[in-house]
Amino acid sequence: MKLRYFDNAATSWPKPPAVAAAVHRCLVRGGGNAGRSGHAKAVAAARTVLRTRELIAELFHVADPSRIVFTKNATEALNLALYGLLGPGDGVVTSSMEHNSVMRPLRHLAHRGVRLEVVPAAVGGVIEPAAFCAVLTAGTRLAVVTHASNVTGAVTDVARIGEHCRGLGVPLLVDAAQTAGCVPIDVEAMRVDFLAFSGHKGLLGPQGTGGLYVRDARALEPLLRGGTGSRSDREEQPEFLPDRYESGTLNTPGIAGLGAGVQYLLRRGVASVQAHERRLLEIFLEGIAAVPGIEAYGPADTAARTGVLSLNVTGLSCSEAGSALEDRFGLLTRVGLHCAPIAHRSLGTFPEGTVRFGWGPFTRERDVRAGVRALRTLAGERR
Amino acid sequence: MFAQRGKQELLRELEGVVTFFGSYHAMRAESVLRKSGRRAVLIPGPREISPNCGVALRFDYIQKEEVQELLDRSFVQYESFHHYPHQG
Repeated sequence: MKLRYFDNAATSWPKPPAVAAAVHRCLVRGGGNAGRSGHAKAVAAARTVLRTRELIAELFHVADPSRIVFTKNATEALNLALYGLLGPGDGVVTSSMEHNSVMRPLRHLAHRGVRLEVVPAAVGGVIEPAAFCAVLTAGTRLAVVTHASNVTGAVTDVARIGEHCRGLGVPLLVDAAQTAGCVPIDVEAMRVDFLAFSGHKGLLGPQGTGGLYVRDARALEPLLRGGTGSRSDREEQPEFLPDRYESGTLNTPGIAGLGAGVQYLLRRGVASVQAHERRLLEIFLEGIAAVPGIEAYGPADTAARTGVLSLNVTGLSCSEAGSALEDRFGLLTRVGLHCAPIAHRSLGTFPEGTVRFGWGPFTRERDVRAGVRALRTLAGERR
Repeated sequence: MFAQRGKQELLRELEGVVTFFGSYHAMRAESVLRKSGRRAVLIPGPREISPNCGVALRFDYIQKEEVQELLDRSFVQYESFHHYPHQG
């Protein structure tokens, strides 16, 4: 049976062939540790890392590539921003659609005396900018919001929130794990202060890559301190970027692959990927619209969504539906709570969860139509 | 052999050296200078002028002011500029 991969929201697959080639080239012909020496291999490694940093800066419209800090994933990037900024007594505002990579650090920080306010989402899991901004004050230390839900794919109007935050002087941290590479991002136009991104989802790189855009170089306390290859005469952490936040040897092969992924996106255009995924979503939604026994979640307006869709089949638990989709139809989805219990509470799907479909730049229309046929069959059997 | 001789000549012609605190800024300086059509060669950082990062950048010393301005405009942080002819 042919397998069809519908779990791009967890990690993208397939990748452009250049990604694996770049990792291979780095391991076989590369060698050397970026910034640790002046010999040819160390310089080549540092050039590889710089090139990926420059490409990501171009993708997010960042004028100074040193503001792009590499981490091992979006979770580490979010932790760097949250623990680097928040202390006892500080107020932080977030939404009820966040992933646990935001909620768990924030719940932990709340135990340490950070005042946490969670703004409930509207119907369909949409974060209303007006409702979010209404609770912000000039004394708020940080606003944190997801650019798109990993459960519903609903895209947040970050630019409107950013404009309000900048006016108040409140820094804005955006979780772009679900949007980087799938939705155009301009950190200047959107007034974003920190942007956490995954390297292995929409940016099409290998797992173990991610990063944080940092607008104000010294805004954060580092999460890690250690060797950077720079200012080796001193026992204190360097203050300049990116070294301030990048201690220890980087994942150079992963970063080489990530560079190839971003290069692919810059050539194809993120707007083209977005249009492709929207078209797939529309085909899917059209295909299941007339089918009784399928409940789909998320906003009605497909223009404000990514290529992610959560649904349930009446009479089946999400895990039964997911197993049937894989075993009988070869469709690989993700079932359950998607590490976002608060988002499922907002949608009314807690604790049961949903079946999630996540499309990518290489998903074909015929894959999506196969998904629709499988769901029709399953729903028909339950009637 | 010719390539090697060419590199030696280039190193001799580029009498300026700019040093950096970290390798990102050295690499970025090379990238920015080359994109602007200027000659630039990364070299192992001479210990006698900088204890910092492993690499420094050779450039046309005659263009010092333009190079400095370009690096400032590109957010590149450098340690210092030197007139330091290649020994060899």
